[in-house]
Amino acid sequence: MPHSLSTPDVTTPGGLLLVLAVLVPFVGVLAGMVLGGRGARRVALATLAAGLAIAIAIADTLVRSGAAVVYLLGGWTPPLGVALRADGLAVIMLLAVAVVIGGIGVYARADFGTPPGVREARAPFVFWTLLLAVWGSLNLVFVSGDLFTLYVALELLTFAGVPLVSLGGQPETLRSALRYLLYALFGSVLYLLGAVLLYGAYGTLDIGLLAARVHPEPVTWAAAALMTVGLLAKTALFPLHLWLPPAHAGAPAAASAVLSGLVIKGSWFLAVRLWLDVFVGVVTLPSAQTLAALGAAAILVGNIVALRQARLKLLIAYSTVAQIGYLFLMFPLAAGLAAAQLDDAAAVNGGLLQAISHATAKAAMFMAAGLVYTTLGHDRIADLRGVARALPMTLVAFALGGASLIGLPPSGGFLAKWLLVSAAITTAQWWWALVMLVGGLLTSAYVFIVVVRALAPAPEGWTPKASVPCYQQVAVLALALCSFLLGLAVLCPVDVAGIGRAVVPGIGSP
Amino acid sequence: MTTSLLLIAAVGVPFALLLACIVPAIRERMPPLLALAPIPALAAALFADDTPLVLGNAQYALSFVLDEPGRMLLLVAAILWSAAGAYAATGLRGATHAGGFVVCWLMTLTGCIGVFLAADLVGFYFLLAVLSVGASGLVLQGGTAEALRASAVYLGLALIAEAFLLAGLVLLALATPDGSLLIRDAAAAIPTSPWRDLTLVLLIVGLGMKAGLVPLHFWMPLAYGVAPIPAAAVMSGAVVKASALALIRFLPLDVALPDFGLPLAAIGLFGAFYGVVIGITQSRPKIVLAYSSVSQMGFLVAVIGMGLAAGDAGAARVASFYAAHHLLVKGALFLAAGVVATTGGRQLWLMLLPAAILALGIGGLPLTGGALAKLAVKPVLEDGLVELLAALSAIGTTLLMLHFLRCLAASASPDSAAAAPWGTALPWMLMFVAALVVPWMLYSATGIGTWSDALQPGILWAASWPLLIGAGLALGLWRWGRYLPRAPEGDIVVVSQPAMRVVVRWGDALEGVEGVLRRWPVAGLSLLMLILILGGAMFFDGH
Repeated sequence: MPHSLSTPDVTTPGGLLLVLAVLVPFVGVLAGMVLGGRGARRVALATLAAGLAIAIAIADTLVRSGAAVVYLLGGWTPPLGVALRADGLAVIMLLAVAVVIGGIGVYARADFGTPPGVREARAPFVFWTLLLAVWGSLNLVFVSGDLFTLYVALELLTFAGVPLVSLGGQPETLRSALRYLLYALFGSVLYLLGAVLLYGAYGTLDIGLLAARVHPEPVTWAAAALMTVGLLAKTALFPLHLWLPPAHAGAPAAASAVLSGLVIKGSWFLAVRLWLDVFVGVVTLPSAQTLAALGAAAILVGNIVALRQARLKLLIAYSTVAQIGYLFLMFPLAAGLAAAQLDDAAAVNGGLLQAISHATAKAAMFMAAGLVYTTLGHDRIADLRGVARALPMTLVAFALGGASLIGLPPSGGFLAKWLLVSAAITTAQWWWALVMLVGGLLTSAYVFIVVVRALAPAPEGWTPKASVPCYQQVAVLALALCSFLLGLAVLCPVDVAGIGRAVVPGIGSP
Repeated sequence: MTTSLLLIAAVGVPFALLLACIVPAIRERMPPLLALAPIPALAAALFADDTPLVLGNAQYALSFVLDEPGRMLLLVAAILWSAAGAYAATGLRGATHAGGFVVCWLMTLTGCIGVFLAADLVGFYFLLAVLSVGASGLVLQGGTAEALRASAVYLGLALIAEAFLLAGLVLLALATPDGSLLIRDAAAAIPTSPWRDLTLVLLIVGLGMKAGLVPLHFWMPLAYGVAPIPAAAVMSGAVVKASALALIRFLPLDVALPDFGLPLAAIGLFGAFYGVVIGITQSRPKIVLAYSSVSQMGFLVAVIGMGLAAGDAGAARVASFYAAHHLLVKGALFLAAGVVATTGGRQLWLMLLPAAILALGIGGLPLTGGALAKLAVKPVLEDGLVELLAALSAIGTTLLMLHFLRCLAASASPDSAAAAPWGTALPWMLMFVAALVVPWMLYSATGIGTWSDALQPGILWAASWPLLIGAGLALGLWRWGRYLPRAPEGDIVVVSQPAMRVVVRWGDALEGVEGVLRRWPVAGLSLLMLILILGGAMFFDGH
């Protein structure tokens, strides 16, 4: 069902909050650079709190008004000016990212402190400034209304994400960072090429105006294919995932959590925007099926390869490869529902929930792996004995995150799976349902292996290499609980995701 | 109002105790409370009426209701959980790390009571998952490498079953009018569903796996063999009944569907005999009991299948009654197996005699609950061939149970002064009394029949002759049994090992392919290919 995206000519009440959501993290980056050293961390943590408040305020405005929040920069309407626009989808992502970044910030407080006696250390300073930069870019991706601003936001996201990979400074992490950078740049070039084609053909880059103007013709198809593949490369959808496992597994735990939980969601979100809102009359069901077929391959290959990993962080990284696959199953389902003149909310909400529940669960799992590494001095899965005794809370968090990835109720993963399976059956595409169910089983196998190994009693006289602060464990558990209880969102009386889009029925109705 | 409170307490009290386990100090002091945790459920089964309890809002609500099958099973399950909890508390006295056991126990208990009461699809699925995860944790408490394997097999099969179920439940939800998620509405809508056949197949496969239908029964001997005694008792008694109860609730028993009912009955009856055949080659009491469970669950499913084939709504009541009896007896016998292993000499017969009465009761010993259970399901099985097979299965069960008693006596403690502690003997005696008395109460209270009917000489004789034949066969087994081939515990699971090797080889190959795909030239090529494929998919379809 095509959604009307025509931007109203006015800034809605609370529109200024969108500017703040983007601006505040970047102000934090600048302030951090000016203050340097310990100041960067203080600024970052203060910004995290402020940003969370802004995200909540935006959500509140959206729910109260029941319409998308809009801000026209300088009062100029597109195509002359630039509009920031947050519909239900964007607001939910804004809020989710604020929560996850907050959790990561609390966790990273312990790992990225400037050592005493030093005025400024490289890794902490880079981490805190880039954390804010990643966040600001993500917010910009969510609220931007035109394809060029989105390009800028994506580039910012990539350039903020790449150094996070090599915070440790070892040669192999530098190599993975370069690999990531190079491949992501290929993606950017393809995206930009597509955007240029569109501008040449239709004379605008504003999403709302483009949606009204595009029609199926070779130039649009070429643009759509180029932009989509560019975004897939940045999202690391199988088989374009060469950079992901070494980058995500090699980075420090907090950075891995940012990269795996959040950064890849930026380009995915943009792909969703393009396919659902811009190219809705241009993309065809077979092309959507192609995306989902890649997703299905990602789920199967990623999960099986994850099962065969010997190191915990690599296992989690491959699990991300698999989980990205789920995110792309929504495309043919949404297209199928739209083709049948049905509401595509089940597919869209399912994909969105999958993204959020993966963001929270995966951030929690990577950080749990980080605590395991600190405690044991290694992360070999075969030798996780004693973790249950040393880090009970962390193990529970890992298991809860795993339950969400598997899709056990009441997790967000379960609700997402329920919605997507419903959509698959309604649109007679049962094979995607099959892939999801098989993927859940494979996921449960590696979660089980890790949990059981960690439950094994430690050898006599064993002591942890280092003790971890309690608040780190609490931060991990809190994020895991967010993911595990996300399914209770179904009890939420207002359907937030549907605001600014179509009316959304709840679970159980097609 | 009272009903709501009772239902909330039934599920809420074990759940609250589970949450309280977060505090280590409370967790270590929890064991004595295990026997009390199911008491609210018992109260609910006795005093609650059938008003539903709804928690939530118009968009989604979690609902619980106490229907007739649920009430019967909840009543007996609460008794078993309480007795087994007392038994477990005795075993945990003085144990340093009781935490893991307690958490898994309470999780399983919450899931079990919840599934018995759940009235909506999502709540049912959620609580079933809680139940499976908790139960696999209980198996893990065996602490050995075999326990780890059994737990992995149990959880793996449970999750595969739940994948089938999830697909089935989504189909149910889509076919139910007005977006209702109540199990009752969903079951009523199955006959008119556009996906009727697929839904039924998914539900039957999913629930059948959890009920231990052959050939997916092998988790039962593995799990019950390694789990601690009280855990094996609740799992074989109460936990496995969740799937039978779900079959009773989900299948539209008031509509005749012979295409599904008859195959289901055939698979069930096959399992009923298969369990006996493998069971008599085993020598550990717990394993023999596990194969008896395979056999009895098969028989129970056959009853449900025949009810579905005939469109006999009354099958729900008698199948639940049969399940309730098996729940009590099997739970009791597992406790007996634990008690006898620590008893020797003079006290032994005190423990063995009640076990003999209950064990033969499963075969239909007159005046026991087992005879009532067989009598109750008779009308559902009134079909020439099926009736004969049912009688043959009673003979087989008698044979298996006599074999069990022999193994049980052989497993007694060699120390003639050994006596089981009261903390374990008393729960076993309590279960013995409950398994004798409660079926008689239920039999008349649910209106299945009257006591005087059940005591007619003709009926007593009909129950007796299979026993006599079974006893004769048992004599033959003891004389020539050593010539029988020995089936490994978990029989066909052995076959899966070569299959696992093949899977591992495929995994190697797949990992190799993935490695190739991550090389730079290949990845660059994939990028270009994808642009062409995606563009092509739009171009050719768009034209």
